[in-house]
Amino acid sequence: MKAILVDDERLARNELRRLLAAVPGITICGEATNADQARELLRTQQPEIVFLDVQMPGETGMELLASLEPPVPHVIFTTAYDEFAVKAFELNALDYLLKPVDPARLIVAVGKLTERAGPAPTGAPAPTSRLAAEDKVFVREGDRCWFVELKTIRLLESEGNYTRVHFADAQPQLFRSLNAMEERLDPKSFFRANRRQIINLAWVDKIEPWFSGGLLVHLKGGAKVELSRRQAQDFRENMSL
Amino acid sequence: MSHQAIPLPPHDEARRDRAKMRLYVLCQAIGWGLFLAVQVFFSINFKTREAPHETVMLVATLVMVSALGLLLTHYSRAVVARLGWRDLGWRALFPRVFVMALVLSALWSAVGYGYTHGVLRQPWESKYSGWLILSISWINGATLLLGWFSFYFIYHLFDRFNRSEIERLRLMTVVKESELRALKSQVNPHFIFNSLNSLRALIDEDPARARLAVTQLANLLRYSLQSTQLETVPFEDELRVVNDYLALEQVRHEERLRLRLDIAPETLHLPLPPMLLQTLVENAVKYGISQRPEGGEIAIIARSEAGFLRIQVTNPGELPSLSAVVPRAVAGKPATSTGLGLRNAAERLRLLFGENATLELRSAAPSLVVAEALIPLRLSVA
Repeated sequence: MKAILVDDERLARNELRRLLAAVPGITICGEATNADQARELLRTQQPEIVFLDVQMPGETGMELLASLEPPVPHVIFTTAYDEFAVKAFELNALDYLLKPVDPARLIVAVGKLTERAGPAPTGAPAPTSRLAAEDKVFVREGDRCWFVELKTIRLLESEGNYTRVHFADAQPQLFRSLNAMEERLDPKSFFRANRRQIINLAWVDKIEPWFSGGLLVHLKGGAKVELSRRQAQDFRENMSL
Repeated sequence: MSHQAIPLPPHDEARRDRAKMRLYVLCQAIGWGLFLAVQVFFSINFKTREAPHETVMLVATLVMVSALGLLLTHYSRAVVARLGWRDLGWRALFPRVFVMALVLSALWSAVGYGYTHGVLRQPWESKYSGWLILSISWINGATLLLGWFSFYFIYHLFDRFNRSEIERLRLMTVVKESELRALKSQVNPHFIFNSLNSLRALIDEDPARARLAVTQLANLLRYSLQSTQLETVPFEDELRVVNDYLALEQVRHEERLRLRLDIAPETLHLPLPPMLLQTLVENAVKYGISQRPEGGEIAIIARSEAGFLRIQVTNPGELPSLSAVVPRAVAGKPATSTGLGLRNAAERLRLLFGENATLELRSAAPSLVVAEALIPLRLSVA
C-alpha cells in the first residue's frame, strides 16, 4: 500500500519512515511538511494511507482532512500529547499513534487498516466519480470527528451551504451543500426525497401512502421523510424491478 | 487571586436551615415553658393572700403573659433578621438590642397589665402604686429579653464562626488545587513527548547530538521540578536552562527556529522568579515558530536600567486577539494555555516584587510581538 507522511518536523518523519521500514506491505511515496504540500501529494500520488500529524503550522491535520473531497484515504493520526485530539479519536474510534510511536502499536494500526478496508480505495478515484457504499467521509464538528462509511448514513439534510449527516447516534454537519453531495452519491443507494433531504435506501424501514399521492418513508432509527407525488413516482420506478 | 465566596451546595444549605429551625422551635418551647412553670410555681406557693377562686385567673394571666413573651421574641427575630443585625459587631449591636429590649418590654408590660386591669377590670390589690409595679415589670421584662437576645446572638456568633471555618477550608482546597495545576503546567507535555520523538530519530542520525539532547532535556526537567520550591533564582541559572530548552526546540524545528541573545553581563546575577523567562520563551516559540510554516527569529534581550531588570522576548507574528487567547476546545488546535501561563507568571511576579513589577505582551512592530518583564532590582516589602 502506498503511504505518505505529513509532519512538520523532519526528524519525526524520519523516525516514522524508519519504523515503517519494518512494516511489510507499506511503501512511502512522499513526505509533506504542511497541509498544502499534503494536498498536492494526495492529488499526484493517490496514496492509500496518510500518516497525519495533528499539530502543524498553518492548517492542522484535522482541518486538512475536513477540507478533502471524499472519498478520503485511510488516515492514521500522529500526535505527541494532545488531550482534546486524543479524546476525539477515542470517542470515534479513529486510529491514532502517540509519538514517540511504539513499533508494535504501529504494526497493529496498519494491520487493522488492511483488514478492515481490504484493498482500500483503489488507487485513483477520479474526483468526479461516484462514491461507493464503503467509501468514507470525514466529518468534524467542534472537537469531535468521525470517519463515516457512506452505508451507515441514513439521511442527509440540507442546511444552507452545509449538510447534516445522520448516522449511528450522531448528526454532525458536513461543510458541503446537499447538491454537491448528491452529485457524488450513488443514485442506486441514495435517493433525493425532496429539496431538503436525501435518504439511504438501505435504511428504509417501511413506506406508507401519504397525502395527495405522496409517500411517507420511515427510516430505521426513527426518522420520517415525506415524498411529494412526483418524487413518489420516481421512488416507485426506482424501487420496482 | 480573587477570593470569591464558594456557596455551599444547595442540599447542605437546606438541611442546615431545617436543622436550625428545629433547634429554634425547641429552644423557644422549652424556654417559655420553663418561664411559665416557674411563674406558676411561685405565684401559687408564695401567694400573699388566700383567694382560691382566683387561682384559675392567675394561671390564665400567666399563660397569657408567657404567650405574649413568646410572640414578641418570635417576631423580633424576624425584625432582627430583616435589619441585618446578625452581621453587626458587638459595639453596634449592644445599644440596638438594649433599646429593642426596653421597647418590647414596655409593650409587654403595657399589654399584660392593660389587659388584665384595664379590659378585664381586675381589681388592683397591691399595696404599691400601679406605676411602680409597671416600672418593675418593665425592668424585669427588659432583663429577660436581654437574656433571650444574648442567647440568640451568641448562637449566631458560633454559627458564623463555623461557617467561615468551612469557607476557609474550602478556599484552601481550591488554592491547593490551583497550585497543583500550576505545577503541572510548568513542563509542557506536548513539548516533552515531541522532544523524545525527535531524540529517538536523532540517535541514529547524530548520536553525539542525541547524547547532548538527553542532557539538555534532563536539565530542563530537573530545573522545572526543583525551581518551583524557590522564590527567585539568579537570571544566569534560568538563562542556562532556557538555552537548553531552545537547543531542544532547535532539534525539532531545525532551521525554522533562529536565535538572537543580547544579554548585558551585569544582569546575570539579578534575581527573578523561576520559570519566568522560560514561560516567555515557550510562548514565543509556540506563536512565533510552531504555528508559522516559515518559522522565524526569537530574540532575548536583558538589560539592567533605572533600578529594573528589563527582559524582552520577541517573536514574529501578530498578537493573538482576545478570543484566540481563551482556550478553545477545538480538536487539533493547541489549546492556548499560554494565556494562562502568562497570567500565572504575571501574578507570581506581582506577589514577589509588588506592584512595580510588570509583565506585558504587546505588538512592537508589524509582525513582531514583544513580551516584556520589568523586575525591580530591590525586593519590595510587599
